[in-house]
Amino acid sequence: MSGTWKVGIDIGGTFTDVIAINAAGGEVRTAKVQSQTSDPIASIVSAYNAIDVCWDGVSDLMHGTTMATNAIVEGNLAPVALIATEGFRDTIEIGRQNRRELYHLDVTPKLPPLVPEQRRVEAGERIGPEGQILKPLCEDEVNRVAGVIDDLNVEAVALALQHCYVNADHEKMLGDRLTGTVKYVALSHEMSPEPREFERTNTTILNAALMPLTAGYLDKLQAGAGDTTNIHLFHSAGGMASIDAVKERPLTLALSGPAAGVAAAGKIAGELNLDNAIGFDMGGTTTDTSVVIDGKVQVGSDQRLAGRPVRQLMVAVESIGAGGGSIARVEGAAVRVGPDSAGAQPGPACYGLGGARPTVTDANMTLGFLNPDRLLGGVIRLSKEKAEAAVKTLSDAFGTSVHETAIGIYRVANASMARALRRVTVERGVDARSCSLIAFGGAGPMHAVALAREFGINRVVVPKFSSVFSALGCLTAELSYAEQHTVRMSSTDWDSGQLDARCQSMKDRLSAPIVAAGHDANMIAIRYIALIRYAGQSDTVEVPFDLPCDEEKLGRDFMAQHKKLYGFATDEPWQFETLRITVTAPSQSHIADLNEIAAVETTTPISVNECWFDAIGSVPTRRFERGALPTDWKIDGPSIIEDDWSTIVVPPGATAWIDPSGHLIIEAGMD
Amino acid sequence: MNYESNRGPDPFTIEVIRNALTAIAEEMSLIVMRSARSPLLREAGDLSSALTDSDGNLIAQGRDIPAHLGVMGSTVQEFLKRVPPEKLEPGDVWFMNLPEAGGNHLPDVKAIRPIFAEGTIQAYAVSLAHWADIGGARPGSYVPDARDAWQEGLRIPPLRVFTQDGPDREKLDVILANVRGPEEREGDILAQMASTYSADERLQEVFSRYDAATVRAAIADLHDQSELEMRAAIRTIPNGVYEGEDWLDDDGLGGEPIAVRVRIEIHDEEATFDFSETGDAAAGPLNATPFTASASVFYAMKVIAGPDIQPNAGCARPLSIITREGSLLHPPLDKPVVGGNHETSQRIVDAIFNAFEVLLPERLTAGGSTTSGLLLFSGRDPRTGQWTTLYEVHGGGEGARHDRDGMCAVRPHMSNVMNTPAEVIEANYPIIIEGQALRRGSGGKGIYSGGDGQVRTYLINGPEVVMTSMVERCVIPPYGMQGGEAGETFQITLERASGETTNVAGKAHLRLEQGDRIIMKTSGGGGYGTPPAE
Repeated sequence: MSGTWKVGIDIGGTFTDVIAINAAGGEVRTAKVQSQTSDPIASIVSAYNAIDVCWDGVSDLMHGTTMATNAIVEGNLAPVALIATEGFRDTIEIGRQNRRELYHLDVTPKLPPLVPEQRRVEAGERIGPEGQILKPLCEDEVNRVAGVIDDLNVEAVALALQHCYVNADHEKMLGDRLTGTVKYVALSHEMSPEPREFERTNTTILNAALMPLTAGYLDKLQAGAGDTTNIHLFHSAGGMASIDAVKERPLTLALSGPAAGVAAAGKIAGELNLDNAIGFDMGGTTTDTSVVIDGKVQVGSDQRLAGRPVRQLMVAVESIGAGGGSIARVEGAAVRVGPDSAGAQPGPACYGLGGARPTVTDANMTLGFLNPDRLLGGVIRLSKEKAEAAVKTLSDAFGTSVHETAIGIYRVANASMARALRRVTVERGVDARSCSLIAFGGAGPMHAVALAREFGINRVVVPKFSSVFSALGCLTAELSYAEQHTVRMSSTDWDSGQLDARCQSMKDRLSAPIVAAGHDANMIAIRYIALIRYAGQSDTVEVPFDLPCDEEKLGRDFMAQHKKLYGFATDEPWQFETLRITVTAPSQSHIADLNEIAAVETTTPISVNECWFDAIGSVPTRRFERGALPTDWKIDGPSIIEDDWSTIVVPPGATAWIDPSGHLIIEAGMD
Repeated sequence: MNYESNRGPDPFTIEVIRNALTAIAEEMSLIVMRSARSPLLREAGDLSSALTDSDGNLIAQGRDIPAHLGVMGSTVQEFLKRVPPEKLEPGDVWFMNLPEAGGNHLPDVKAIRPIFAEGTIQAYAVSLAHWADIGGARPGSYVPDARDAWQEGLRIPPLRVFTQDGPDREKLDVILANVRGPEEREGDILAQMASTYSADERLQEVFSRYDAATVRAAIADLHDQSELEMRAAIRTIPNGVYEGEDWLDDDGLGGEPIAVRVRIEIHDEEATFDFSETGDAAAGPLNATPFTASASVFYAMKVIAGPDIQPNAGCARPLSIITREGSLLHPPLDKPVVGGNHETSQRIVDAIFNAFEVLLPERLTAGGSTTSGLLLFSGRDPRTGQWTTLYEVHGGGEGARHDRDGMCAVRPHMSNVMNTPAEVIEANYPIIIEGQALRRGSGGKGIYSGGDGQVRTYLINGPEVVMTSMVERCVIPPYGMQGGEAGETFQITLERASGETTNVAGKAHLRLEQGDRIIMKTSGGGGYGTPPAE
């Protein structure tokens, strides 16, 4: 008998979040358990136990994980052999030859190459920039290279030949030859079919290096789940992928966890009819910001992970090293917040685990926002005295009062958040004032209204299930695949027949696994995006279009978008550089329909205590239990609304209420 | 340190404002890089951005090129000497490139926009971009055998190219008529304009939150903070007089090596850098402006004494710089300077390192490939019929340190411009890259070895191509330190299609034909410490 539970799980570094819905009856269960870092399967089992379901009871498991991210960050990667074009095996060591730090001679200027010299092999072949074969790859050479690889005795091989993005024949020849003799092969024209050899090669190597680890994990997962559970994984571009697709491209898991949170934010924006929104995920050590424009989660292909270039489609997330655990300190005559963090151990001073330096969380505690009478996550009791003592170390240095100092830390933390938020909106040409702010993560809802006011944003949304937000993103995600390919077609040399044919074949290929999963091909949502630039420019502008592609309209839309992003546009010829396609299975679940069993409604506050919203003085502030609030009942600030995992600050001048959708809405108002 | 609340903005407000200003400068660079046309800007990132106060004191900069950042403030100060602030209007963008007006060399063109709030000028936004061509005798505007300043290209005194109503088409046309690749240049000009426009918009948001007096007070405080930090940094160097020197290979016209000499006097919290003993102005284009010399001193002091000091005008207050008129570092106005910006500026850093070698070896690195290693290829692409210019810099080995080997193929010190990927070169220029490899064994030996240089082979794939080199360390090798060996020098080889092979000088200009090859071998870094016996 097959199960009735649909489960979303996000395995993070510290916690594993789970949310499940029962197809029969619609019951929703959530939990947050400690991650078992050494054994992710155990994390899943422990999450299942916490919501009282077993493998047999689960029909669908949708799963996000930081496994790939951690492997890259910690350098825990399988040994890879690299095959490069003759003359180019050192490309990954030369890199772009720029140094990381301008003024620090004590830091090595570049990261060491991902593959050491002795495992870098050259193949005698050469393809030119238009795909012409300058030196053919002969059968003997293929065999010679295969022999060298064989002697290297590695499980994984990355293949990255010059100009393979216009002509993949040589990569395919070598790839075919190695299949069967080498267990894992990654081909660069599949990973990142775009020019720039250093970045493409690195991307391909990272993928190859993750293949053994990922395959091992997924095999175990499948064995655990048996035949009764369908397993999908959350990929970095913001959708679900099948196990087989992820085994081929484990690098697509690089931003799995954050992408699931961003996807949930996008989904909520859609359900609440918010055109533009900013996802604001503030955790203990990092803050991730992301953008939703016209209801679409924004993706990009030019990002870095642990200092390494990664060229594949991933949700555009701007990450900064500042969060609730960031330490405030005196530097010379100045104050700085972060990037040092108290992390989970010892954590902020108020956790009472030995931390003594003032963190952003300690400032929030000092200001009265956090509740000393409530156990954080049902476990940690927060100490106001310890928080104030830590903040006092800084106020002594500046001669300010403890509360002035705490407000100061709060404001400086917001300023660095604002910088991240600025980058992510500017890069997309969005005016932040047109956005709503969707706040999640442990610390997000405490800073959201202050940050919103900084940008002139009026509406803040603190979603329901925000403590298991990435798991929620998994649970409600659709099957979706995205890819992009170099086209390089000039507006003066337009061939719509060729373009339409290309779109069609890419669409068919990406749709195949969705159709195979039982979806009606006619119901699949397809998005075509042209990446266009003027001849000679580097960056492209994203312009959506429909088939058949109307060149004139595309040109007009490009100029309008270019003007919006850069303040100017000219009517000179342009180039259709890259084609991006996203295919998405029809949407089946809605966050608005997910509801936990309601608590007894009450408008009576749990308590009233003093909070400081400015340095002048404290005001009595009511504190409410989120789960007990009646729908549409307006709460004016100053108020605090809390649950076991998060604290929502509603400052004076703001108004909050629970929307019929279950999300908490705050009108930011003015301070 | 005590903070008194009636003194001005509190330290938290200052930090909030600092964050906002730095973000604005960073955003400016991002905009130029994303919207510019020439690969030099979009691929290699040869650009910088900064904000100054109304007197031209640097207040914030993006993370860009050290050689540029030292001249941003002086550019605005010299601009204001020539254009009285009364003449400036909101929405103006002025362009200028005169080396003697706070500048470095003609290709680095600055766009300056006054930022108004409360009816007066509060700040200037400056966008510097290296134009791939500024006219003059040779494509790419590098003339290794130039004997006067006018051969190097178009000289732009402060010129109002944009007003609130948009571009002044006539002025724009004068500029574009005097540079090669006018379409590409116009795109770059628009990109620079766009970056100052965004700076204006963002600063208006800052001024809508804080009144101008508060922002000014915060900026003054940031300057004071940096000054204090620089003073503390100088204190870490014992008082005394330290002398150092380094040598340019030649003056571009084939002359003898030219000395760059510095006499540094450290006195408690202040430092004087006297370059009077440096050689006379060069006949060729290796002269550097005093502004470039300041940029080098500023860089050297940061890496030696205070890498984390917030870079702004306050840092410069405890530093005095003396250059002798008529010398290599203070040339007469008619002297060419194009190479001085990135070659002689590096010699200055090396001379300062040399002065401190005995006293502070653990804070330094041995000699590296302190040159742009610049090759300019210019020619008609047979595929498009278009004239194109590739401006390509080449990193080499980094010098070793007391605790680690030098790294291979990297850009040390005053520059940090990237390479252009082989695939991008081949798609845009009549050139095939036959290989890019490490030049193994080129780093000097030592307890720690210098990094290796690289070898890149260019095969000419078009009928008419000219090449210019502007490369140092072809004669004088990157020095070892504390007994370490020197690295190999640069070596540029021309292999004619006929098979004939010749050596190419570090400052040369030649015609190439289809099938010719240029093999660029970059220098290795110097070693650190006497190498152990084999």
